[in-house]
Amino acid sequence: MSGEDCNPAAKPTHCEDTQGDDRWMSLHNRFVSDSKGKEPDVLFVGDSLVQLLHEFEVWRKLFSPLHALNFGIGGDATQHVLWRLSNGELDHISPKVVVLWVGTNNHGHTPEQICGGIMAIINVIHKKLPNAHTLILGVLPRGKSPNRLRERNASVNTLVRSEMASLMSHFSFLDVDPGFVQSDGSISHQDMYDYLHLTPQGYQRVCEPLHERIRSLLDK
Amino acid sequence: MVGCVILFQHNRFVQECKDAEPDVLFVGDSMVQLMQQYEVWKELFSPLHALNFGIGGDTTCNVLWRLQNGELENIRPRVVVLWVGTNNHEHTAEQVAGGVLAIAQLILSRLPKSKVIVLGLLPRGKSPNPLREKNRSVNNLLRASLPRLGPVQLFDVGGSFVHSDGNISSGDMFDFLHLTADAYRTIATSLHELLNQLLEEMPQERQASLV
Ligand SMILES: [Ca+2]
Repeated sequence: MSGEDCNPAAKPTHCEDTQGDDRWMSLHNRFVSDSKGKEPDVLFVGDSLVQLLHEFEVWRKLFSPLHALNFGIGGDATQHVLWRLSNGELDHISPKVVVLWVGTNNHGHTPEQICGGIMAIINVIHKKLPNAHTLILGVLPRGKSPNRLRERNASVNTLVRSEMASLMSHFSFLDVDPGFVQSDGSISHQDMYDYLHLTPQGYQRVCEPLHERIRSLLDK
Repeated sequence: MVGCVILFQHNRFVQECKDAEPDVLFVGDSMVQLMQQYEVWKELFSPLHALNFGIGGDTTCNVLWRLQNGELENIRPRVVVLWVGTNNHEHTAEQVAGGVLAIAQLILSRLPKSKVIVLGLLPRGKSPNPLREKNRSVNNLLRASLPRLGPVQLFDVGGSFVHSDGNISSGDMFDFLHLTADAYRTIATSLHELLNQLLEEMPQERQASLV
């Protein structure tokens, strides 16, 4: 545990309101109050990749029918999600499946630290929701051409996957990258409009296998 | 310093210029960029041969740099829609308005036959806050100063977002800054009307040269 204490990716941290309109805390508070009286079977939590998913047709088509809630906040790193889940977002719900997608915004952190952050999050989820299954989605490649963040994200996925091997049945890992990197090493703006966030087409490619996996977890 | 992601997108925009003959160019920050990801873009703006040069997080300085460095070189859009300024966190309302004015001026000097629509900055944040006041001040400054530049107008699309209790709904702005599909539809519908009106008023240059 002493390793976690000095890992900035695993230290619950709320986002400082540097811009001046307090949107991060407003969103967190909305998630907490939205969760009261709802009985979601599935909870999505994470960064902008989770948040934006909610804004496209694919959400209404595939995930709304599963009674899913979306607690995504753009820009969040592992330590921010950790803070949110430790401060009320899980207190009023008992989803059967939690989908966690975070890590690509952990700038300045090593793959080991990011993996540690993800492990800290799934510990909190398991403590608060002992019967839920947490599905960790792999962080995606990013940037138009090969770059260090792609390598970092790939390392995070390798580390998380190997951690999963030693854990019991309440957790699993899903690599949702359908092959966004093309044979010439580039990512198409048809899949990621800014070489980070997904287009509706990119979401479609990610969400079909994800939807299947969630369905099979719910059927268990 | 311009980040690499930004440069790649900028390079793509410059490349797109060489291939397309847009009637309408949208340029700005994430408010412009995200619009292209929704159905309403394909429905209302693709038929106008619209190009979208939006980059998330851009300030007036970034847009000014892009337009000075190739994005306007190969196109002659008849109308340019400019929407930027809400990310200028380091700047006063006067400075932001000055930045928008500088961009509008640049567009008019590079594209002397074009008209410019500047979209007003939207209110933001769930509850009343200083950034809402700042954005409102920017709009007021622009409303007074833009028309002096020529065929430029401020189009304020933010009228209905703040409810009587002072709150903005997540049904309109999912993160109290960026618009939902529904809110884009509302804005895009009125903007589309204005665009059609402006395009109708303008002489069809290509046809004219054939006559
Ligand atoms: Ca998207």
